[in-house]
Amino acid sequence: MYHTLLNSPVQYEAEMLLPTVETMVGVLYFGLFAMSFDFISGYTGYLSFGHAAFYGTGAYTVILVANGKFPLLGPETPFMLSLLVAGLLAVVVALLVGLVSFRLSGVYFAMITLGFAQVLYVFIRGWDYVARNPRDGPAVGPSHASGFDIGVPWVDQLNLAIGVLTGDEVSLLGTTLSGTTVSFYMVGLVVLVCYFAMQRIIHSPFGRVMIAIRENEERAVAIGYNTYVYKLAAFCMSGFFAGIAGALFAGFRRSASPENSFYFLVSGDALLASIIGGFGTLAGPLYGRLFDETVREFLSKSGQGGGLLPYLRLLLGEGTLSTPVVGGMTVGGLIDTLLNGHASLYVGVVFVLFVLYVPDGLLGTIRNRIGGTFADALPAKLRDEEE
Amino acid sequence: MILETLGEFLTIPELGTVVVNGLAKSALYVMIASGLTLIFGLMGVLNFAHGSLTMVGAYLGGLVMVTAVGQATGSVTRLAVFFVAILLVFAVLTVLGGAIETTLIRPLYDRPPIYQILLTFGLTLVIDEIVRIVLGVFGMQPISDWQAALATKPQFLREPAAVVGISVRWLAVFQIVLGVATVVGIWAFLTKTRYGLYIRAGSEDSEMAAALGIDVRQVFTVVFALGIGLAGAAGTLLMWDATWGASVPLAAETLLPAFIVVIVGGLGTFRGTVVAAVVVGMTDSVMTWWFQNYIQFTGLPELVLFLVLVVTLIVRPQGLFGVEGVGGH
Repeated sequence: MYHTLLNSPVQYEAEMLLPTVETMVGVLYFGLFAMSFDFISGYTGYLSFGHAAFYGTGAYTVILVANGKFPLLGPETPFMLSLLVAGLLAVVVALLVGLVSFRLSGVYFAMITLGFAQVLYVFIRGWDYVARNPRDGPAVGPSHASGFDIGVPWVDQLNLAIGVLTGDEVSLLGTTLSGTTVSFYMVGLVVLVCYFAMQRIIHSPFGRVMIAIRENEERAVAIGYNTYVYKLAAFCMSGFFAGIAGALFAGFRRSASPENSFYFLVSGDALLASIIGGFGTLAGPLYGRLFDETVREFLSKSGQGGGLLPYLRLLLGEGTLSTPVVGGMTVGGLIDTLLNGHASLYVGVVFVLFVLYVPDGLLGTIRNRIGGTFADALPAKLRDEEE
Repeated sequence: MILETLGEFLTIPELGTVVVNGLAKSALYVMIASGLTLIFGLMGVLNFAHGSLTMVGAYLGGLVMVTAVGQATGSVTRLAVFFVAILLVFAVLTVLGGAIETTLIRPLYDRPPIYQILLTFGLTLVIDEIVRIVLGVFGMQPISDWQAALATKPQFLREPAAVVGISVRWLAVFQIVLGVATVVGIWAFLTKTRYGLYIRAGSEDSEMAAALGIDVRQVFTVVFALGIGLAGAAGTLLMWDATWGASVPLAAETLLPAFIVVIVGGLGTFRGTVVAAVVVGMTDSVMTWWFQNYIQFTGLPELVLFLVLVVTLIVRPQGLFGVEGVGGH
């Protein structure tokens, strides 16, 4: 699809607008993380500001297993198994954090989870067991040169490796899918399974109680639910999926640093995605992240994804670019200063506008407009038209 | 080994230095946190943009210093310019704070408190990025400290002061003086002025205050504006301290300690914030000493500070002087 568009007459426009496949893989695993954040924060109303701790735990677990530094598990452990271990370890962390944190609520809950996550962040940044330079974080060593396999463990032909450069290429029906494209589908597979699992939980009686806690916790207690146990269980599940997301991230990128896994701004990014996509809609955060990444890449400097800047340079031509505007600065220089790598500004502005005017987010607003989810609204609409 | 180090720690010169450094840190913390606590106490808004505005204050203060101070400027003039800079930054950011409150925060009061957190979080992104763009225009590095601003510090503040065997930097003494002045100033404002009375009344029960004829909305605007102004003033002070310095990451570096101080002290009590600032400052200073002399772990002071936050929330969730019921607890 992507390549078809790139070879079409609108190739420059397409290259400018569409994110690269590599970015899309990032959207998937981070989207899963944002979904797990939304699972606890959007559905129970408890803002888990230390969610990055679970993401980081998952990421570090995978790398440590691959480097043979994880107790009991050797470097030859199948990726699917270390993925599971990563998730379970995140559950343990979530359980420990949750046990004390759920005695609090509101701002205090956000602050204590933030506190725990920052303790872990500072600790992992100084712990020289995980990497030679813990500040930069660990990377998968040369002993594990091939990509990580996603599929059925120990059944060779059902496995496909993921990774930026190390993924498998697949020849299918006469077209060859590149390693990154394969990674996109394999990571997407895991994310999809996780999404369906979370979707099931939300729509089960358990999920009803979670929403009841968000709407009116006192009443839920009065009806006879032990909300503490429900909150803790939901937190652990959320931690599990966050751990899986972190594991996918590390499996694809093959390295992690404290800044892009454990730091509190990583939780902030998940929050951003959740709000833009729709707080309290499970699929929303994925769209939110897609939106966020598209804007970021659209405004990035250059690279394979194109973006606005190279497009403008191409469109305006050298003559216009070197025209001086103010104080000796040329048009080119001005575009460069205003756009180059400053996507955060525009994402931030969009975010503020969303908080002010679109509090339900993309998906939430669409659902309000059509009066339900697509899955409900579409058959209903078709039925109406038949009658 | 540990006992030897402990013995060394407990000698007068070492302990004295640690205490004075701790007080200096406490002074900085109280300046960073007081604006945050005023805003939270009255309005229930947890201002995530506080750190970013401190950072803006640091750059603005640095700008005033760099333009007004030359190589030949004497120490006394530099100090005078510094006070002018603090007042200027305070004034500019107060206006900015008022503008932010009226245009952005005000529409959110009838929504759940989470939206205020979200909005101010978004503001952080915007402010940080604007600062980066402006720095880019002037060809300055956003990550590293602004050395030119650091260089405007008068010579005598760099020199160590030796009093009865305790060696400290004059800068620490200067920071303590300014910190005490800030605390006294805010305390006097809260207890001695009519406006302070409104603020305390509004913190206690804003509906009742409104019923008694106080224009609570206007009080909200003024407090938010003053809180932001204080953040800027704190930034100006940090600009001269080499361990902080004016840089974009300063935003996150100051935001987290400010949260710790405010939460440990109890949301919305100024007295609690002052006490917590001393506790946190002392802990920081003591842990820094132990890191330098005994324990080989880089993040030790930071780690312990976050542990203080976590332990406080477990043992006494409302903070040292906090009242239960504030902040959705």
